[in-house]
Amino acid sequence: MSANKILIVDDEEIIVRLLSMSLRSDGYETVTALSGEQGLEVFKAESPDIVVTDIKMPGMDGLELLKMIKEIDPEKEVIIVTGHGDIDSTITALQYGASDFINKPVRDESLAIALDRAKAKIDIREKLREYTENLELKIAEATEDIRRKSNFQRLLIKSSNDAIVAFDHDWKVVVYNPEAARMFGEAAKDVRHKMTIDDLYTPKIARIFKNQAKKEKQHNMLPWRENIINTKDGRQIPVRYNSNVLHEKGDFVGTVSFFQDLTEIKRLETELVQSERLAAVGQTISGLAHYVKNILIGLQGGSYVVDVGIAKNNTEKFKTGWETIKRNIKRIGDLTQDLLTYSKQREPEFEPCLPNDIVDEVIELVKDFAESKDVFISKEFDPGIGEVAADSQTIHRSLLNLINNAIDACIEDEDTSKKHEVKVKTYRDKNNYFCFEVKDNGCGMDKNTQKQLFDPMFSSKGGKGTGLGLLVTSKLIEEHNGVIETKTSLGDGSTFTIKLPYEKAN
Amino acid sequence: MSKKVLVVDDDQDVRSFVVTVLEENQYMPLVAQDGIEGFEMIEKEKPDLVILDVLMPRGSGIRLYRKLKTDKNFNQIPIIMFTGITLRSFLKSQKALEEFKGGEVPEPDIYLEKPVEPEELIAAIKKKLG
Repeated sequence: MSANKILIVDDEEIIVRLLSMSLRSDGYETVTALSGEQGLEVFKAESPDIVVTDIKMPGMDGLELLKMIKEIDPEKEVIIVTGHGDIDSTITALQYGASDFINKPVRDESLAIALDRAKAKIDIREKLREYTENLELKIAEATEDIRRKSNFQRLLIKSSNDAIVAFDHDWKVVVYNPEAARMFGEAAKDVRHKMTIDDLYTPKIARIFKNQAKKEKQHNMLPWRENIINTKDGRQIPVRYNSNVLHEKGDFVGTVSFFQDLTEIKRLETELVQSERLAAVGQTISGLAHYVKNILIGLQGGSYVVDVGIAKNNTEKFKTGWETIKRNIKRIGDLTQDLLTYSKQREPEFEPCLPNDIVDEVIELVKDFAESKDVFISKEFDPGIGEVAADSQTIHRSLLNLINNAIDACIEDEDTSKKHEVKVKTYRDKNNYFCFEVKDNGCGMDKNTQKQLFDPMFSSKGGKGTGLGLLVTSKLIEEHNGVIETKTSLGDGSTFTIKLPYEKAN
Repeated sequence: MSKKVLVVDDDQDVRSFVVTVLEENQYMPLVAQDGIEGFEMIEKEKPDLVILDVLMPRGSGIRLYRKLKTDKNFNQIPIIMFTGITLRSFLKSQKALEEFKGGEVPEPDIYLEKPVEPEELIAAIKKKLG
């Protein structure tokens, strides 16, 4: 709103009327007074925007009026009309806050200029007030916004499932949420702004954070790590945590860390291991039952064939049946031995023996069977092995298992175009082991089979395997301080290598 | 002429048992040691009945069963499943194959879980061959 109402004060009525007419014709609204006292009255009643007053008046003069007006409203513009050379009054008027001066006789142009200036001042002041008011509003809005946001962040931190702890640059705790209180067993009121990193964390964890703050120039998030936290109330909590060094314009201002309670996850993990173990026991028993059932099938079938042989006086039948029975008795014997070997700790009996000869014996045992299945066995012996001190039974049984497995892998192989072969090799390696390598080009194994290879009662041979062979083998080799290595590729075959510490026979 | 019965089983003990049962009941036994040999034998000999094991190397009974049931030339040959695994596992593997390869095969009419008494086996054979 532009200033438009003008009060004219002069003791000369003619001047008041002239000015008033002139201003009205310029579009102003005017009110008038013929003395200082009257001027003050009119001012109070009409509240004009600008006052134009003569300085010299009987009674209350212009200066007095100016002073009174400024006391009532310092923002009103008062233009003083002076005579020539009235410097002292002018200075006093300035001190009282007059906005402008015009000389008598008042010329329309100079009045117009003074009024424009006064109006401009009023405008500026109004704008300033507007801005100020606006600014206050804006600040209030921004403050509310900040309050809302900080409240939101506070709630966010408060409601987090992670324990959140932040330290300032003096390592004093500044953020400590309820989950942190639960995890560390210390109430927030006892911690926040009271404790330092050394009060809250174990020396080990505190050191990690301090080192990290020293090292890192920019804020780099550490990878998640795991640790155990000892709480004040004596609990041990497995946690996963990471932390972040906070910098502001390059200055270290603190650190923030996030802790996740792993208790539940660890419990589930333990449960899983437990249930896997139970499943393994179940698999063991069912595998064993399956194998025993197969022996039973053999024995029942065999005794039927023997019965027929006896009834018909058929020696051929009798022999076939009897062979079946004997074979299955042997299977029971082997199974029992495997089970005993597996369940009992046994010290290897070291004696002088010739590894190459043992391999020969084993190959002799399985050769006929292998050839009947079109699997050929080849051997490549290192004569430098000679006589060693070893448990010959361990070598014999382990190799028998591995070579039988290799033959089975060839029989199982669906690729009948292959010329199936089991290569048995002996050699001494540079780590002073003497080694037996059994390599087949049979069916090989997939990842899953490989994983379960040494599990009790796991068998890839259906009901025809006990699932004990490799288990027993690895146990025997372990007891002999040796190692067993596996390489396999599905469809291409497998290689098993037994390595035993080389010790010369004395 | 006596009817031909093919035994497909990788276990020598089972084969000699079934062969003896068959001979005792005046059938003509034929043997095969695995799925592949079994199929060759079926093509060549056209047996009147097949006694089929499930877990065998080189073409399991699961696959041979499928092959026979989906082949017009052979799907009329009666099959007795004769195995150590349960019918449930057998059907489960067939179902898995169906989902994998499509097509559907009928459930076996006779499924014997080892061990089986000779009388039970011969009753099953007679039921199929009369």
